[in-house]
Amino acid sequence: MGYVGNKPALNYTSFAVQHFTTSATTSYSLDHAVNNENDIRLVINNVVQQPGSGKAYTATGTTLTLSAATSGTDTMYCVFLGKAVQTVNPSQASVGTSQLVADSVTEAKLNDDVISGQGALGAEPADTDEFLISDAGVLKRVDYSHIKAPAAVSLRPNAEPLIINGSMNVAQRSTSVASITGSAYNTVDRWKTTIYTAGTWTQTQETLSAADLNTTGHKRSLKMDCTTADASLGASDAIHLQTRLEAQDCQLFQYGTASAEKLTLAFWVKATKTGTNIVEAYEFDDDRICCQSYTVDTTDTWEQKVLNFPADTTGVIDDNTGAGISFNFYMGAGTDYTSGTLQTTWAARTDANRAVGQVNNADSTSNNFEITGVQLEVGEYTSSTLPSFQHESYGDNLSRCQRYYSRPIDGDSQGICTAAAYNTNDGFGIYLFPVRMRSAPSLVTTNGTNYYKFVGNNTSVNFDGPLVISTATESSGQLAFSSFSGALTQNMGGAFRTGSASASLAFSSEL
Amino acid sequence: MIKKVKKNNFAGELVSYQITYENSNVSVSVPLDEANTDYQEIQEWVAEGNTIEEAD
Repeated sequence: MGYVGNKPALNYTSFAVQHFTTSATTSYSLDHAVNNENDIRLVINNVVQQPGSGKAYTATGTTLTLSAATSGTDTMYCVFLGKAVQTVNPSQASVGTSQLVADSVTEAKLNDDVISGQGALGAEPADTDEFLISDAGVLKRVDYSHIKAPAAVSLRPNAEPLIINGSMNVAQRSTSVASITGSAYNTVDRWKTTIYTAGTWTQTQETLSAADLNTTGHKRSLKMDCTTADASLGASDAIHLQTRLEAQDCQLFQYGTASAEKLTLAFWVKATKTGTNIVEAYEFDDDRICCQSYTVDTTDTWEQKVLNFPADTTGVIDDNTGAGISFNFYMGAGTDYTSGTLQTTWAARTDANRAVGQVNNADSTSNNFEITGVQLEVGEYTSSTLPSFQHESYGDNLSRCQRYYSRPIDGDSQGICTAAAYNTNDGFGIYLFPVRMRSAPSLVTTNGTNYYKFVGNNTSVNFDGPLVISTATESSGQLAFSSFSGALTQNMGGAFRTGSASASLAFSSEL
Repeated sequence: MIKKVKKNNFAGELVSYQITYENSNVSVSVPLDEANTDYQEIQEWVAEGNTIEEAD
């Protein structure tokens, strides 16, 4: 038969029945509260009783009152006409919001896949997309615009990047050096060229075009131009560009501990020769290496590369002023460095594993190799998550470079320092370095006929040099010349000056 | 490449070393400091069998 209203979920419902233990009383307690006597059907000795005041019984709440007392031999029961005693599952899709008590859905009633079971948003949420949060225990919604990370900062001026002069902006020694065949610092500060019989090169600090500035974000680069090729490198031949980090500045990497950090090295490269190149990280104290490869995809085109270096939980970098880590940008390598398997995790140095796969950028005089924007970040980043380059002012960059090298005197008629005659042969003066240097520095001078002079006591005494450093600390050096051959008057005061456009003084405490 | 290394004296005492190079008018005066990498290079040069010249 059909039903009016919702179909019962499983079966007919049953009415609750209560059997009483009778006695000589008119008052009984009901198991379930009722509104009045009409909610129950009372049967005594199998006779249905008439409900109502002045009738057989009345009832309210759980109180049942008979109009006449029963006896202990009577049988009495009642049927609760308004109470169904059956567990009934609501039919599918029949429970609405109104059936639920407010705040009655607790955490335990939610399926664990309440989030993972939903369709994924395949892009960054819109600013007006909403998230649920607990605001001090109260569930609230919040727009994505309020919680998303701030927009990436495109410039971080006045920062202090880990790689000093990664922008290639400072070149105290020179902006161009030709005929390079060996290992030295040539042009751009903090960048050493190492060549073991791998062609002849001209190195320049390049000024980039507006278009290249737009591409890379940098105005200067370090360029290597092959002027004599070496198309067939010998087994032990190699060439790379290298920058070294001071050991005490590497302590934040926490190498040698379980908390050692991963590193990300990023840079812009433009090379004539396409193919695989290697960057090697080298730990000086424990003689360990870790190498990563990258590919120059398009000839003579600026490309940014991002390389990840794993953490080294074994190698320890001493906390001192020596060299900690270097990053070696290989440009070519012989079989002594390429015959093994590239060492992509940290391990003790094995030469054969250092530059496996490296193309030979020295194989043609048409080849150039250029880098800029070298940055080192603590952590693991991709090209899309890489923090922006930390740009420094020129002055800040120069000052940091001067911890390792400064060239304060370059040209004619420049005052070097005040001086005095120790005796008639020895003159000396004290020079204060512009910044505290890494170690007591060497004094690098160019020397020639009358390059220098001692000016004082109403006279000028020329000399060829070299000025030497007689005592030095990280902060100052005593400069001296000891071959005045009696030309000085003892205790005379004066100054050291240059006397030639080719005269120069520099202080070096390179790593 | 190092051409020669000689001692620098001031007032009769050794105060530094002087490096000169092949075909160069550049010289390097090196303090007696083991943390100085030029000083370290001189020690390696001596270990290879070379000799530091006395001061003039």
